[in-house]
Amino acid sequence: MKQHPLCTDCEHEPNVLGLPVPAALKQEWAELQTRRHFLGRAGKVLGWAAMASLLGSRGLTGDAHAADSNAIAAAGDIKVPYFAPKAKRAIYLFMSGGPPQMDLLDYKPGLAALYDKDIPDSVRGAQQLTGMTAGQARFPIAPSHWAFKRYGQSGTWVSDLLPYTARMVDDLTIVKSTNTDAINHEPAIMLMNTGNMNPGKPCLGAWLSYGLGSMNDNLPTFMVLQTKTNPKENNQPVSSRLWSSGFLSSQYAGVGLRSSGDPVLFLSDPDGVDREVRRKMLDAVNEINRQTYAEVGDPETNSRIAQYEMAYRMQTSVPELADLSKEPQSTWDLYGPEAKEPGTFAYNCLLARRMAERGVRFTQIYKRGWDVHGNVTGVLPILCQETDRACYALVTDLKQRGLLDDTLVIWAGEFGRTVYSQGGLSPENYGRDHHPRCYTTWMTGGGVKPGITFGETDDYSYNVVNDPVHVRDFNATVLHCLGIDHNKLSYKFQGLDQKLTGPVPANIVPGLLA
Amino acid sequence: MKTVKELAAHVKTWLPKSEATRTLLLSTAGFSIALLLLPVFFHLDGKAHADWEQFLGRFHPLAVHLPIGFLLLVPVLEYAARTKPALKEASDFVLTLAFAACLGSLLLGYMLAYGAGDAGEGVTRHMWGGIVLTVVTLVCLLARPAWASGAQPFAYPALMVCMLAVLTFTAHQGGSLTHGSNYLTAYMPAPLKRLLPMGPAGAPTASSFYAKHINPILDENCVACHGEGKVKGGLRLDSYAAVMRGGADGPAVVPGDVARSLLLVRITLPPDHKQFMPAEGKPPLKPEEIAWIRAWIQQGASPTATTLAGISIREASPDPPLQPVGDYSALMPDIRQMEQGQGAKLIPVSSKPSDGLILSTVNISANFNDAQLAQFLKFAPYLVEAELGRTAITNASFDTLAKFTHLRALHLEGTAITGEGLAKLAPLTQLTYLNLSGTKVSQASLAPLNSMKNLRHIYLYNTPAQPAFVAETK
Repeated sequence: MKQHPLCTDCEHEPNVLGLPVPAALKQEWAELQTRRHFLGRAGKVLGWAAMASLLGSRGLTGDAHAADSNAIAAAGDIKVPYFAPKAKRAIYLFMSGGPPQMDLLDYKPGLAALYDKDIPDSVRGAQQLTGMTAGQARFPIAPSHWAFKRYGQSGTWVSDLLPYTARMVDDLTIVKSTNTDAINHEPAIMLMNTGNMNPGKPCLGAWLSYGLGSMNDNLPTFMVLQTKTNPKENNQPVSSRLWSSGFLSSQYAGVGLRSSGDPVLFLSDPDGVDREVRRKMLDAVNEINRQTYAEVGDPETNSRIAQYEMAYRMQTSVPELADLSKEPQSTWDLYGPEAKEPGTFAYNCLLARRMAERGVRFTQIYKRGWDVHGNVTGVLPILCQETDRACYALVTDLKQRGLLDDTLVIWAGEFGRTVYSQGGLSPENYGRDHHPRCYTTWMTGGGVKPGITFGETDDYSYNVVNDPVHVRDFNATVLHCLGIDHNKLSYKFQGLDQKLTGPVPANIVPGLLA
Repeated sequence: MKTVKELAAHVKTWLPKSEATRTLLLSTAGFSIALLLLPVFFHLDGKAHADWEQFLGRFHPLAVHLPIGFLLLVPVLEYAARTKPALKEASDFVLTLAFAACLGSLLLGYMLAYGAGDAGEGVTRHMWGGIVLTVVTLVCLLARPAWASGAQPFAYPALMVCMLAVLTFTAHQGGSLTHGSNYLTAYMPAPLKRLLPMGPAGAPTASSFYAKHINPILDENCVACHGEGKVKGGLRLDSYAAVMRGGADGPAVVPGDVARSLLLVRITLPPDHKQFMPAEGKPPLKPEEIAWIRAWIQQGASPTATTLAGISIREASPDPPLQPVGDYSALMPDIRQMEQGQGAKLIPVSSKPSDGLILSTVNISANFNDAQLAQFLKFAPYLVEAELGRTAITNASFDTLAKFTHLRALHLEGTAITGEGLAKLAPLTQLTYLNLSGTKVSQASLAPLNSMKNLRHIYLYNTPAQPAFVAETK
């Protein structure tokens, strides 16, 4: 009997009557079938049939465009934006760990006079802190160690730690009022990426692959680049949960490139296997998989076939992508010498530009180490030195090549950091704990308004006082730039129309849009 | 004395013979003269009067639509009466109602202007319009019986035309007072706009921050009450000189002193404050508009400065409005077949067919040549973007591209084109984006592009034309 994919009652028993066994054996097996077997199975089949008829033809499969009766969707399952988008692709620079906003872009000149004073209770309110600072007797204010200056036509204040970012402030859409619900890394980073603190939901990149489809058949739609960790930094783990496709088909999950060695393991053909042999082998495997699909009907089998084919095409497309030998000297002048070393943030930014040129829909670069609980003055300059120039180089490079018009670049972490010092505060050094109530992010490129700073925080960079942008609003706005209505891009799962922004209503932030 | 007697005798010959009609006529004349003298007795001097007048007067915008409706209905009824005679009586009744409503609205309107202390050319024009309209309506009412009986076939229709003209004038003046004088023309298509007489040039220099950013804010939000038409509080904000002159309460703008600049003070009060501007529940200014005004005053309120420190305003995107393309849904099978055969894809911009198609060659880039491009000609009416970067196309393709007249973006980066033939792109009037990075185009070959008005983004990275970084040429 053909099973529905959602039926969890796996029936692995072979069809004995169809097996080449002696007739006597078959006879005996048939006699062992009881009325209980029959009723048990028949009941279940009837149940599924009833459910399928109640839910309608698409009810059990879930289909993003099922509700759309537009002509194109009806003409086939082509994936297209809901409306003409400003951005065709996005590059997400993920600053994992939580960058300290008041040391980088959220300038608070009033803090210097409040050095070592306790943060007023009225500002902190009844907030529950992390276990790392909840036990502190005092919450002394740590003003930023670095000076700020104004840059650009927009006169944006930027810390001395970010001399390169300062040069491009007129291109940036800086959001000072981003805020989240989670105070610890794992839930916060899951919320930022998947719209939910619990694992199991598809991430932004997977939703984009699912909703928009691929532009280049030879490269994955969604690619993830990890930056090599620096042992001097406090590196929080990132896991493939963050680029998972959750309940969506696994073909929408992010494909990670390794930060050292071969970008993709086992991608090169082994000795003695040439391209033709590989093709024949794949054809055979695909044929077997198709038979399995015909028998079982699990859509994941098709995903597997698609992934084998993608890997085959990546055997030529990835080496071409990662071959930087034809990059002109101007590239290295722009990105800096570290860009030649695989696994650095600068190298990943350069790869991201090359992927944008090649039509990769979504590239996410993870840079860990921003979790500066202590020794801010020792570690933060290293982090900025690793990322500041590369971010500027990427944006400038996209701009000069005419790619920034339709590429959205996002720079964000999972939360911000506290204005009060974690651990000892001295004129030379301090630490900062996690802070969900406000943090600074920026975007640039297709769809967003350049040269603005959006949202305001209070004098302590502790609470948002104007124009808050919750994570789900942030994500809704990103989807909007790419031509997607966050309320329409949904997938039926566990009785809900699942969305990236979750069940709580999310709002596009018009103030960020061009 | 004799002449006076003669004159009186002469006048008597005009007057109707019947006593009742004569009384009616005389009282009408007297009433009309009283209305015409209203502004003499209650002069609109710009000073506010009793609150109760304002209270009642504020019903004027509500009540005023009643006589408009009645008056427009009268000629319709008269016309319809030619086939439905019963309506003839109705029109007499409606005309009487119209007169009563006119009179009521006029009095309410007068109370509004007199009570609130409104003055100015627009208010005056509206006021005279209202008075004349009431009088004309009254005369219509009197002339009608003669017309209905067939004795006077022309006077009444002529009066009707007069009445409609005065009505149009008065209604327009009133609309301009509440919505601003550019309300009707703000979104008028450019060809129509050119037919209008040019407004007075208010701003000192056209490129100044004042002219480009401050004046439009005042125009949009303030000038309806502080302009030529209406001068509340003796303040006009419709020109630089007037802004600097200030109003009855003091200076609107004191250069460099935001605390004494009443303009900024009033717009930054709490919205429920009595003196908050814009008044009467009109929407408050946007935060960035307030920030611009503050910065402008802080930095000297100059009539000529073109930029202000700390303020960066992006010009509103002058991208031309997207021209919808036809529906290509019927061609979907062809599009699919093309993809299978060619490897190059036609990707819908969005789920709306009118947004067009993108020609994407990234899958086969180096193998895509001039001949293959030519095969996409049949889709030209639907193509809004052609991604031909790093393909094998050459200068020969410009002839094909010239027929892709709906293109908005054209990618030719990294191809073998040399720029010869760029002139052939001239028919692509909607082209806003042209990427020539990494090609051999020279500065000289770009000259023909100057005539393409909408082409705002030309990318020349890594070309002989512009080895250095250039983002936007225009």
